[in-house]
Amino acid sequence: MLVAFAALAGSVWGQEPYPSRPITIVVPFPPGGIADLTARPLASALERALRQPVVVSNKAGAAGAVGMQSVAIAKADGYTLMVAVVSISTLPEVDALFGRAPAYRRDQFVGIARLNADPPVLVVGTEWRWRTLKELVEEARKRPGEITYASSGLYGASHVPMEMLLHAAGIRMRHLPTTGGGPATTAVLGGHAALWASPPAIALPHLKSGKLRALATWGESRVAALPDVPTLKELGYDLEYYLWAGLFAPKNLPAGVFKTLRAAARQAVGDADFRAAMARVEMPIAYQDADEFKAWWDKDALILAGVIKRIGKVAEK
Amino acid sequence: MVETLQNLALGFSIALTPGVLFYAFAGCVVGTLVGVLPGIGPLAGISLLLPATFGLDATRAIVMLAGIYYGAMYGGSTTSILMRIPGEAASVMTCIDGYAMARKGRAGAALAIAAVGSYVAGTVSVVALMVLAPPLASFALRFGPPEYFALLVLGLLVLAYMSGGSMLKALAMAALGLLGGMIGIDQMSGYFRFAYGVVELGDGIGVVPVAVGLFGLAEILATAGLATPPSVIKPKLRELLPSRREWSASAWPIGRGTVLGFLIGIIPGSAHIIASFVSYAVERRLSAHPEEFGRGAVAGVAGPESANNSATSGAFVPMLALGVPSGPIPAVMLAAMMVHGVSPGPLLIKQQPELFWGFIASMYVGNVVLLVLNLPLVGVFVNLLRVPYPVLYPSIVVFCILGVYAVNGSVVDVWIMLVMGALGYVLRKLDFETAPIVLGVILAPMIEMALRQSLAMSDGHYGILVTRPIAGALLAVGAVLVLLGLRPLVTRSLDWRAKLALAGTKEERL
Amino acid sequence: MLTTDRVAGAVLALLALVVVWESRKLPLGSLSNPGPAYMPVVLATLLLACGVALVIVGGRAGRLAAVDWSEWRHAVAILAVCAFAAGALERLGYRATITLALAFMLGVVEKRGVVFTVLFALALALGSFLLFDTLLRVVLPRGPLGL
Repeated sequence: MLVAFAALAGSVWGQEPYPSRPITIVVPFPPGGIADLTARPLASALERALRQPVVVSNKAGAAGAVGMQSVAIAKADGYTLMVAVVSISTLPEVDALFGRAPAYRRDQFVGIARLNADPPVLVVGTEWRWRTLKELVEEARKRPGEITYASSGLYGASHVPMEMLLHAAGIRMRHLPTTGGGPATTAVLGGHAALWASPPAIALPHLKSGKLRALATWGESRVAALPDVPTLKELGYDLEYYLWAGLFAPKNLPAGVFKTLRAAARQAVGDADFRAAMARVEMPIAYQDADEFKAWWDKDALILAGVIKRIGKVAEK
Repeated sequence: MVETLQNLALGFSIALTPGVLFYAFAGCVVGTLVGVLPGIGPLAGISLLLPATFGLDATRAIVMLAGIYYGAMYGGSTTSILMRIPGEAASVMTCIDGYAMARKGRAGAALAIAAVGSYVAGTVSVVALMVLAPPLASFALRFGPPEYFALLVLGLLVLAYMSGGSMLKALAMAALGLLGGMIGIDQMSGYFRFAYGVVELGDGIGVVPVAVGLFGLAEILATAGLATPPSVIKPKLRELLPSRREWSASAWPIGRGTVLGFLIGIIPGSAHIIASFVSYAVERRLSAHPEEFGRGAVAGVAGPESANNSATSGAFVPMLALGVPSGPIPAVMLAAMMVHGVSPGPLLIKQQPELFWGFIASMYVGNVVLLVLNLPLVGVFVNLLRVPYPVLYPSIVVFCILGVYAVNGSVVDVWIMLVMGALGYVLRKLDFETAPIVLGVILAPMIEMALRQSLAMSDGHYGILVTRPIAGALLAVGAVLVLLGLRPLVTRSLDWRAKLALAGTKEERL
Repeated sequence: MLTTDRVAGAVLALLALVVVWESRKLPLGSLSNPGPAYMPVVLATLLLACGVALVIVGGRAGRLAAVDWSEWRHAVAILAVCAFAAGALERLGYRATITLALAFMLGVVEKRGVVFTVLFALALALGSFLLFDTLLRVVLPRGPLGL
């Protein structure tokens, strides 16, 4: 009797085992992007690991700030998770640059796992004559501010690595911001811009068909699918930059929930269907568990904050 | 040509196998359902149902996803015609004359014309897609920011034909809409404009809440309290289908809408949204009875609906031929194909011909399935209008709220709809037309971005807008249109608008 | 004479001036390098011109006093319902909010019977939730106690 009563009280007072109802993964971007493509197969895999429905909810807006803000202030009960990408580190810095109240702070989240991390590839249209990064840099020195590079958006995930490279090489180029990876690729394919720092998954089909040429990648080691393309480190620029996606939750998760989620994420990353889906979209898994991820993320965010400050307010230049 | 036919035969041999046909059919059914529901357009529909296709092989999965995509595009016109709720930007123009037809008891005819127009547009543009994809795709790539700017300026000129009332009032409404489109983060500088700390306004005010507010909600605000509410329309079975006069009035608009939509659709970017607006304007300009537009002109449904559907096929051209997504919906389709290990582009046709041609053939099949599916559904949907208005309108209000919320899961969108509903209601009382506001909200951010991108490319020289051949040609066409519009001032002959005003005063006297 | 066009024109012109005033915080840029305030100011100028023109030529339009507002009570009630829904959706949850909104419109505004009102409101709220949230997995908000 007493045991039954205690069990009842337990379930009423929130001691019920986690998870006991459906879990939502917020994707702060519209369908079809890197975060969305990672989150949907992940949701299926987590569903198998946690034995509860896991649904993906796209909450797009303001380059991701809307969805991230909604998760930052959500209840830390493990029923609201988020798949976010590298821009989670840069958006608060952009807000600070313009003197705005930040939509969220980075420390409002806890990372559960890093899922993948791809270095972007510097691609140029094949109608341009540069065959190596060295030729490109030399020409940019001769004609400062005349070569145009595209990006997926101002202060965005492909603007930042270009700025890092231009700064390290001491050159200037013209910037053509667009509204996403698709439009940026179209701009380079159509010859409206000469180059851009592309995610490998987007660039690969065009590299294979010979419409684009890869000059370098931002990784520590070469990209598996592009064994002939050197890294910037090999070419003498001490730069590293990754387009990564991670699984997050609002901070202050109960310890038990956090432990369950870490284990579930580890299991999901090993899930055969998830691995196959990631392999097909050419986004190899680069898993890090919470502790390792936290250390790595803090370091990465510090570097990116510096880049945003250096870019500064474009309209005032 | 022979080779194309052989390939197509290969495609049909795949598309007509029972297994594949079943998934095409299932996709069309689900797509139609999803498209009819407010708030879930093709974009959300594909991503919601993507996980359900994980277990299928690539051909079946893609055939099914294409069915969902097409079905959702078809279904979008239903709520526009019956309830004046546009599920997406492309259905805005259908709202105006489609709903007017429904109020006259011709809802069945409007739905049937929309279905047939979509069928014709879908089928013809698949033929064009098959034959013209590679050459058109490389042409489409030459549309950079300057060309885009010129095209959008042409789109703005379309405004002149969108409303039948005073030109000045239409222009004022367009300016209001364009200003509304300025809200949000400036993509070229990062500044927040007119957002007052509301993060949700970062991407600007969405087209769906604006259109649902100005059309759906405003309509209810204006009619719910009338002493004699809109009468219940009891459609008779034989009145479900369009009359002979309605068929002949829609034949040319369907043809023109198909060609126009396809051409606009192939251009990368979001230009396809304006296809239905341009088609509406063209039909009004060419019509012998422009005064009927806005009061239930069949051509005002047939043209935009066909343009809308062939624009979606057109959007497949750059995607299949080059592997670049043109707009958000093809981007989701591209992502869905990549999840199934298929990367569209020039190599796809060579390496996986059975998949490519199976896909093309299944588009034909899908269009037939949709027509067969949708024509009987017309009878079902029209019966919704039998519900007494005092019960129907609260349900429509709920659908407006639900639909607007479901797009982004954002309460701010519901507030925007509310404000737009009130604005639309007052403007209606003051005798202003609201369609130019929607066009303004859509065009403003695109025009500004294209102009400033062009200037970024040319280092601030405006010459780039006229020296590039396509951009220059488009702007020249625009200039000619403006001059033609000014002609009546010189020749003192009455243009259609003046005739319309005369007809209006005559009507009032009666 | 106070006509509809003149009043609307005056309001639009006023709005345009507000936009120009609010744009002062943003960099204007130049013709060759337009800043974030450039287009808004250009468009506001256009709106101002339209508004002023409407005030000048709008004398022949219908008189403001002649506009019939007889249905305003319903309009305000429906707008109030929408405002309630927007405010309550993420606090009370979808099902409770929509049931209350429908019950108000049917029972209070349209004075339908109690039984019909309650049944219809519940059926539509729960039915649409089942279709969207449960079957199609479009996440709709839940209120306290998971309702």
